[in-house]
Amino acid sequence: MTDLVLENIGKTYPNGYQAIPSIDLSIEEGEFIVLVGPSGCGKSTLLRMVAGLETITQGDLLIKGNRVNDKEPADRDIAMVFQNYALYPHMTVRANMEYGLKNRGVSKQERHNKVMDVAAMLGLDELLERRPGQLSGGQRQRVAMGRAMVRDPKVFLFDEPLSNLDAKLRVQMRVEIRQLQRKLATTTLYVTHDQVEAMTLADRLVVLNKGKAEQIGTPMELYDKPATTFVAEFIGSPSMNLLDGMLTERGIALSDRLALPMAHDYRGAIKWGIRPEHLQQSDAVNGDFSLQVQAVESLGAETLIHGVLEDGAEQPNPIVVRLSGPHLPDIGSRMWLTAPLQHWHLFDAITQQRL
Amino acid sequence: MSVYFPQKKLPYLLVLPQLVITAIFFLWPAGQAVLQAFYREDAFGLSQQFVGLENFVDLFQDPLYYKSMMVTMVFSFSVAFLGIAVALWLAVMADRVIRGKMVYQTLLVWPYAVAPALAGVLWWILFDPNIGPVALFLDRIGLHWNHFLDGDQAMILVVISATWKQISYNFLFFLAGLQAIPRSLIEAAAIDGASSFKRFWDIVFPLLSPTTFFLLVVNLVYAFFETFGVIDTTTQGGPDGSTNTLVYKVFKDGFIGLDSGGSAAQSIVLMAIVGLMTVIQFRFIERKVQY
Ligand SMILES: Nc1ncnc2c1ncn2[C@@H]1O[C@H](COP(=O)(O)OP(=O)(O)OP(=O)(O)O)[C@@H](O)[C@H]1O
Ligand SMILES: [Mg+2]
Repeated sequence: MTDLVLENIGKTYPNGYQAIPSIDLSIEEGEFIVLVGPSGCGKSTLLRMVAGLETITQGDLLIKGNRVNDKEPADRDIAMVFQNYALYPHMTVRANMEYGLKNRGVSKQERHNKVMDVAAMLGLDELLERRPGQLSGGQRQRVAMGRAMVRDPKVFLFDEPLSNLDAKLRVQMRVEIRQLQRKLATTTLYVTHDQVEAMTLADRLVVLNKGKAEQIGTPMELYDKPATTFVAEFIGSPSMNLLDGMLTERGIALSDRLALPMAHDYRGAIKWGIRPEHLQQSDAVNGDFSLQVQAVESLGAETLIHGVLEDGAEQPNPIVVRLSGPHLPDIGSRMWLTAPLQHWHLFDAITQQRL
Repeated sequence: MSVYFPQKKLPYLLVLPQLVITAIFFLWPAGQAVLQAFYREDAFGLSQQFVGLENFVDLFQDPLYYKSMMVTMVFSFSVAFLGIAVALWLAVMADRVIRGKMVYQTLLVWPYAVAPALAGVLWWILFDPNIGPVALFLDRIGLHWNHFLDGDQAMILVVISATWKQISYNFLFFLAGLQAIPRSLIEAAAIDGASSFKRFWDIVFPLLSPTTFFLLVVNLVYAFFETFGVIDTTTQGGPDGSTNTLVYKVFKDGFIGLDSGGSAAQSIVLMAIVGLMTVIQFRFIERKVQY
């Protein structure tokens, strides 16, 4: 059953700025949806409209089939975890978690039971009588989640909940959030600008660019078949290599001297893309093209090689190659590469849409 | 988590010039008063006689002194309470205003720039039983106003005159305090199902409590010691001592009653109260500001 439906939702701020032109999205019960995009693309705006903290200036928002555009945040049966956690600093952890239940007239005994259940699930038992100021960042994050969970809402909303944590804790909490969400099976809308977080958490991803949904799909759909150059560059790390080219009867001409043979009906200017991990080391006989090595990043398990394409073009075309295991080519040396056809991505150079 | 109150140092910095002035115009005369408190002087100031603690003994046996203490208490707490309540209400409103915010805030600060004695005269004119517009209006709705005869009305008048100016000061602190509360806290409470009334009492008010406490002490000190001008221009302590606060009584007994020894002894009691309040202020503020 669809749980949360956004129909032609748009937002124009009172100052006339149109943060979101129009978005359609329907979310299944228990689904984990991640909104991802660069800073300022309207992720928080969209989330806050669902929460009821920001008015919806266009379209309809349905929760379980009911239009909730004009309902107060409290009446939408949602819970939100804020980036700065927004814990009440003068209340204990217990009081923080109970506050929403108290306002809804839940009995003392029931409140106690619910808080204890959630505290046990999140490992907060020992911390219940502390104030937020006496907790570490990770613990505060957990309390913020506990406060959301204790109410057992229809929808969880997260606005970059992990961005204030250090890298290690972020990975740990990421896994934990995913497990908890699976267990509770609560529909979740999660905002992040971190594409790794987005890929690992999402059932489906919404890539936002300037308030528009560039593509909606599972992480693997977005990785395998990015609909636009924006998605292609945004998903995957390091980003996909994108080169300007012309599609002709000979194939893809990347420069006057370099062409990759291919049969395609389209004619005209295109962008040719290949992911760094799909380029393979080769030799002068079998290689499709060669690279002049400019920098090497050794990460142990893999090596990133940055170079420029040796295609005789005036503008150097930078390329990144990702090889597994250690490699130590000399800076300035030539490296031959093959680009397997099944991993190519072609985009219209003007519309930026996938061909 | 003092992070919610980044102005913690600012208030002290702002009172610094006042402290310097206090040292010159208060501490030095205070030393003189301490000496005088142990002497008795005849009414013409011709002879002085050392009397030990006699001035103090007389003082604490004088029922008028206890009456003045009660008057001071009622006066000071009324001023502090009224000033804080009205300023908080105005600050909450100002925090919500979006258009014309600056105009609103600037207007609210004006009263602070008016000299206390002038403010006193202003209220004195407004409430004058014969010509004051407010008094005439009250008369018309059947409430006979004459603060020269009615002690309670006199008290109301001095409380209003003294509070008026403090509201601006309190308002600025509350506004700063309100703006330091993260919006997301209020939003979280809204999602948690708290009405705007509950949001204020459960979240905003407790978070403002260090500011409120600071202002309570400042306002009490103000009402105790800095309202001489207001009382002198409106009621002169009357009628029948019903607005004769401790500070005003020092002046009256010393300069009008010409009892310099008794007046000096009263000053010393006042100094002790100032000292006590300062200690309370620092003790509590140190402890309460911490979250
Ligand atoms: N109250 C407002 N009035 C006018 N414009 C606003 C308002 N709030 C946000 N905006 C604008 O709307 C756009 C989207 O803002 P939003 O906060 O949704 O971005 P975001 O995707 O969450 O970015 P970030 O990753 O930095 O949090 C931005 O360009 C921002 O400047
Ligand atoms: Mg944001």
